[in-house]
Parts: sequence; structure tokens; C-alpha cells
Amino acid sequence: MRANRLLIAAAVALSCGATEAGAADIAAGQAKAAEVCETCHGAGGNSTSQDFPKLGGQYPDYLAKALRDYKSGDRKNPIMAGFAKTLSKQDIDNLAAYYAAQPAAVSFKH
Amino acid sequence: MPPQPSRRRRKPPEMNRTMLVAALLTAALPAAVAVAQGAGPVVGDPAKGRNKTQMCSGCHGIDGWRTAYPEVYTVPKLGNQHEAYLLKALQEYKNGERTHPSMRAIAASLSDQDMADLAAYYAQSGLKTAGK
Repeated sequence: MRANRLLIAAAVALSCGATEAGAADIAAGQAKAAEVCETCHGAGGNSTSQDFPKLGGQYPDYLAKALRDYKSGDRKNPIMAGFAKTLSKQDIDNLAAYYAAQPAAVSFKH
Repeated sequence: MPPQPSRRRRKPPEMNRTMLVAALLTAALPAAVAVAQGAGPVVGDPAKGRNKTQMCSGCHGIDGWRTAYPEVYTVPKLGNQHEAYLLKALQEYKNGERTHPSMRAIAASLSDQDMADLAAYYAQSGLKTAGK
């Protein structure tokens, strides 16, 4: 019983810690975007090139999933694979939050 | 005397062969370029694309709509996205390079023309269409 309680406490502590570490930092995302993404995806993710999708105002969880999939190889793109491999989980969350917070370049309306 | 005309006679066929090869290459070039660019000139029609969105808008037309399988996340906004990117995404779902099961099934049902029309429609919709 005691062992179980300890286990639960440890699990709770761990998940709280994970949430804190996972909190997205938009400023850090902006810095990383300027360093890695902007050359192709444009300022604020408002890409002007047909080859590179617009990211500004896109949903953050979709952006994060795309980056995770590029990193894992589930989504195949030689250019994005190279960049995504350099990103940590925290970088991905920061970038997703940053681009989602930019003025909308895309819309769900159509 | 005899060698001269024979040399003259030999030369023209050689030139003709060179010219023929050059002509063939020139003629083949546009076709080779077309093949390199992938597929024929399928031009998207946004007006037709608008009438083909029934399968899309149930998810992509609802703000914050989430797909649940195989992973929960919000489906992307498509309005005003680049046409070439949208078309590539549909092609990659159709050929299996992108793996989302629902999108694979939907893309499999679309022709090249359908995909071009949808890409053209979404690229000019959303932010650019006032009052919509």
C-alpha cells in the first residue's frame, strides 16, 4: 500500500514537472524561428514562396505534430527532416506557440 | 579527281546525321521537361474546387476541429494557404508519403483534376475573400 502511494506521488510529481517543462515559451520560439525557420517560411510565418507553407496563425498542436513527425520520419521531407532533427521537444513546443500567436496567414474559413 | 567528289559526297551525310540528332533532341526537349515537371498541365479551377469541398469542410471548415485517430490534434487551417503546398499535400496523401488514414482515404478518391481544383480553391479562400 505504502509503495503504491509512493508510486502515485512520484507519478503526480513527475507529471507536474513534465507540464512545467512543456510550457511553451513564445519569446524563445521567436528566437529559434529567426534562427532556423524564417529564411523559408517568412517573417511571422507568412511565407511568400509557393514551396513553403504559411505557418502564421496555424493551430499550435498541428504545427507541433508536423515537427514531431518530420523529426521521427513519419512525415517525409528531406529539408524539414534536417531541421526538425536539430529541435528539442521544448523547441518544438516553443515554435508551435510562436507561430500560432502570429497574425493569421491561414484561415479555417473558406 | 575522283577522291574529291567522293569526299564531298561523304561529308553531307555526316552533317545530316548531326543535324538530325540535334533536331531530335530539340524536339524531345519540351517533352522531357514536361516529364521532369511531373504530370501534364493540370490547371486548378477554384470555382470547381468550391463544389468539391463537401468531404473537406466537415473537419477543415470548423474552427478548432480535432481529429481523433490515430492521434488527437487540431486539423490544419487551409484557407489562404499556398496552392502548390496544398496540392503537394493531397498528392502525398494519395501516394502514401503522408499517412493520416482519413486523409489517405479521401485523397485516394480524388482525381488529379479534383486535387488541383481544391488546391486552387483553398488558396484563394479564407482571408482574401471579404465577407466570408
